[in-house]
Amino acid sequence: MNSSALIHAVVDGVLTGSVYALMATGLTLIFGVMDIINLAQGILVILGAYLSYTLSVHFGVDLFVGLVFTIPILFVVGIVIERLFVARLKGPERTAMSILVTYAVSLVIEGILNEVYSVNQVQLQAWYVDRSFPIFGVYLPYIYLLGFILAASMLGALYFMLYRTRFGASIRASLSDQTSAALVGIDTKRVATICFGIGVAVTAAGGMIYGATNAFNASSSYDLISRLLTIIVLGGMGSLGGALVAGIMMVLLQDIVAVVWSPVWSSMTFFVVLVIVLSLRPQGLFGKLSARVA
Amino acid sequence: MKKYGNLWRTLGVTSVAASTVLMLANSSGAVAKSHALAPIKIGISLSLSGDFSADGTAFDQGYNLWAADVNAHGGLLGHKVVLDVVSDASSPTQVVTNYQKLVTNDHVALTFGPFSSLLSLPAAKIDARYGYAMIEGAGGAPSVFQQGLHNLFDVSLPVKDDLLPFAQWISALPASKRPTTAAYVTTNDAFTQPQIPVAQNIMHAAGIKTVYNSVFPSETTDYTPIADAVAAAKAQVVVLGSVDVPTVSSFMQAFEQAHYTPKVFIATGGPDQGTQFTKAVGLGNANGMMVPNAWYGGATTPGSKAMVAEYVKKYGGTAATVSADVAEAYSVGQIAAQAVKATGGFNNAKIIKYLHSGVVLTSVQGPVKFDALGENNQATAFTFQWQGSNFVQVNPVSSAASKPVLFPKPAWKS
Amino acid sequence: MNVKQLPWWATALVVFAAFPLVVTNPFWTTIAIFALIYMSCATSWNMFSGYSGYVSLGSAIFYGCGAYTMALGSIHWHIPGGAEQFWLVPLSGLVAMVIAVPLGAVALRVRRHTFVVITIAFFFVFQLAAINANFTGGPAGLSLALIPWQGNSFNTPFYYVGLAILVFAVILSALVRRSRFGLQLLAIRDDEDRALGLGVKVKAVKLTGYTLSAFTVGMCGALYAMFIGQIYPQFVFDPVFDVTVALMAFLGGFGTLLGPLLGGLILESSQQYLTVTYSNGSLYLILFGALFLVVVLFMPQGIVVKVKEMWAKHQLNKTPQLEGSTLAGSQKV
Repeated sequence: MNSSALIHAVVDGVLTGSVYALMATGLTLIFGVMDIINLAQGILVILGAYLSYTLSVHFGVDLFVGLVFTIPILFVVGIVIERLFVARLKGPERTAMSILVTYAVSLVIEGILNEVYSVNQVQLQAWYVDRSFPIFGVYLPYIYLLGFILAASMLGALYFMLYRTRFGASIRASLSDQTSAALVGIDTKRVATICFGIGVAVTAAGGMIYGATNAFNASSSYDLISRLLTIIVLGGMGSLGGALVAGIMMVLLQDIVAVVWSPVWSSMTFFVVLVIVLSLRPQGLFGKLSARVA
Repeated sequence: MKKYGNLWRTLGVTSVAASTVLMLANSSGAVAKSHALAPIKIGISLSLSGDFSADGTAFDQGYNLWAADVNAHGGLLGHKVVLDVVSDASSPTQVVTNYQKLVTNDHVALTFGPFSSLLSLPAAKIDARYGYAMIEGAGGAPSVFQQGLHNLFDVSLPVKDDLLPFAQWISALPASKRPTTAAYVTTNDAFTQPQIPVAQNIMHAAGIKTVYNSVFPSETTDYTPIADAVAAAKAQVVVLGSVDVPTVSSFMQAFEQAHYTPKVFIATGGPDQGTQFTKAVGLGNANGMMVPNAWYGGATTPGSKAMVAEYVKKYGGTAATVSADVAEAYSVGQIAAQAVKATGGFNNAKIIKYLHSGVVLTSVQGPVKFDALGENNQATAFTFQWQGSNFVQVNPVSSAASKPVLFPKPAWKS
Repeated sequence: MNVKQLPWWATALVVFAAFPLVVTNPFWTTIAIFALIYMSCATSWNMFSGYSGYVSLGSAIFYGCGAYTMALGSIHWHIPGGAEQFWLVPLSGLVAMVIAVPLGAVALRVRRHTFVVITIAFFFVFQLAAINANFTGGPAGLSLALIPWQGNSFNTPFYYVGLAILVFAVILSALVRRSRFGLQLLAIRDDEDRALGLGVKVKAVKLTGYTLSAFTVGMCGALYAMFIGQIYPQFVFDPVFDVTVALMAFLGGFGTLLGPLLGGLILESSQQYLTVTYSNGSLYLILFGALFLVVVLFMPQGIVVKVKEMWAKHQLNKTPQLEGSTLAGSQKV
């Protein structure tokens, strides 16, 4: 066991974890406001990554500059999915049905991505993806730091919007109780649609960082969505802070296990921890027990 | 693919069945009248979608290239060859349905193998049930042969021997130049895992210490922690068990980021993928990368140059971009054709007996001779290396075609 | 299933039993065996998830455990390839049940939405363990002994064992539905807190349902392993299986008896047939997803309920014209 490898794993884990936290925040926001589990979040991350890929390879747009285009595009994609499919779901089995509908949406997107980009894996390229700088005796690729800054600033902006704006207040009202929110005159339908758009829009940034640090194709989405779901359940479904803490914790733990013990068991740790936490705290780390009783 | 499907439907099952019977009856007599006889069908299931689709497509090209060649030269015993290709979406469940269909519904005369060891085994079991020979080009994992299927023949190199010439080369270096430490890291895969201990044992015996040894799950996408651990171990030789380009390129990238250049870096799969590899990592970084294989676009084995030329004419690209998969599939066709000619017909029992007889056959990948398990024990393993913009053969050292190894590997440069 | 419907069920059984006698081509019976397997799994998935509303996306755990029990049992007890192996099928079901007890005990502590995710997590734990453990043969999987049966009659025993499992699953599901236990499951689906308040032992009821449904799925996994003769961890612990089984039940009719049967029959046979006939996998994904969307959005309760509704409407529309007097008469009463 080598201490520099451990330091490296810790640094990597915290930085990558923040990106997962960002993607999971979008997912948990959607669930919290709408009681919708968006299984398409994984493939939307991949869509975001492919959009960045197209912009950088065919138009020479820098990955970070490209976000100016991809974030609005995915916001619109989110709105369209919500209006066309999710908003139609009604009745007591709404949440279960939302799993099916968003899964179907993700199948369609997966098929389209396979047709357009083929199944050969690609990775996003830029100078900051290859180069690294020394810190704590290890070399850290710039992309990890930049990804962390991006994720942190987007999370910051999201929190600012939620806690310092009028619209954010109506979202938070919907988060804690939809019926009461509707009673005090909040247009919960509009809030839901925009929330879905925001929850999906963060995948543009998440996807770009994911695509720059992993080789990916459309089927990478299965791995992603299972991780994101695990994170939001661990953090407590609907809890924004929970998604943040759980995201960083999970990736950190996984990286440490890979270095200290064996990479073979590292992804398993992810799920074992979830099972242990849930058997002790069924509502997740930060979930409220009373809320969201189905 | 559609093209063949329509053709089949128009032919009709009964006429084909009848003509097969007729063919078997006349097989010794009425030969060599080119195309005067009914066409014969060869059934193949390939992964045209799913995890193995990149290789499945290359196999499809190889098989088609072979069929076109045979038909241009009068077909098999005068029968035009028609390929009946169905897709299995890389699933063993589907592959079972597919070979069942090829044999009992489409009444094909011969069957060729699917891509990858995972699918070859269930498919060969179906074939065994009906007495069909399963001649395949990609399914050389040791687990395939342990089953003792009498009808299974792999024309390619048994994968466990892939790293032999490499390990022998490095062990034979003069002590002053020979590296002293090595890292072995492999994906958890039936194709790569058996190769590692073979190399490790030889290198260990030569005094090369193992400083890192690890297996990572095949579904890994973020290789950074593993690559960092290898870099931290500062091994002089890295033996990477990989099946595709992204795995190798991720390790190379992480090594570069960690400012770590091993003296020797060999990966079991990925660097052999031609431009797909160099595009992913850049020519500068590809320089010095090594890969074991049985064939490459520049091979001088009989028929190889002609096949490559036809490939380039039909599908574009250059000799360096031709995947070894194409040669593996093409070889399957060649071996089948030789067996058909030697046995004078399409009787699978006779073909199986002939292939087990110890006869030495030829293919674009070199000589083929099957042992009792159906492994090709005549195949030679080679090691290839990227040197500048060229992909050259460097091992075995004894081969006249081998160029000197670029050693130590130059530093990374983007 | 009520008494009036019995003749229909009996007819269906006769048709299924006669199928391999009429259609002898092993290509079709192969597809039929896979369809039987999926129909059984969808039926038993529905018996717990459909009745209780707890959607499980981890049924492949039991399928995989069943398959490994069959493979490991045959190998370690040196059972020669052949009919003797069928004895391992019920054993595999039992093993799956035993595994289901602790899993259910943990997973059922949480409410519905979380339950979905925790079953996915459990699933990955099992899949990763199967890939990485030593006794499972790792990624190279396990090979069962060759069965020395002749090609054209090879499928017949598998077909009838598959049919027996299906009949068992349907009867079990029907009995549960008609029992007090089944009513308790339905009560949990409608309002768990109220069911608890009314004295339903919700924990015990849920765990019993979960465990029972594992039995059939385990048997199906064993049959699959024996039929293919070769198992790989990523294909017996397959996330697509998890989703497919749930989808079949939803497509046919969530919580109904007939729904999962129809869903399984239609989806599995069409998927097998379409894949072998049309080779473009990505196009298939798009079509499949689109079809799936249409069904979920326009027939949210599944084919069975939709057809019943349409039939009822149709009856209602024609009744006044044809039997107007009777209707009027009955209204007087």
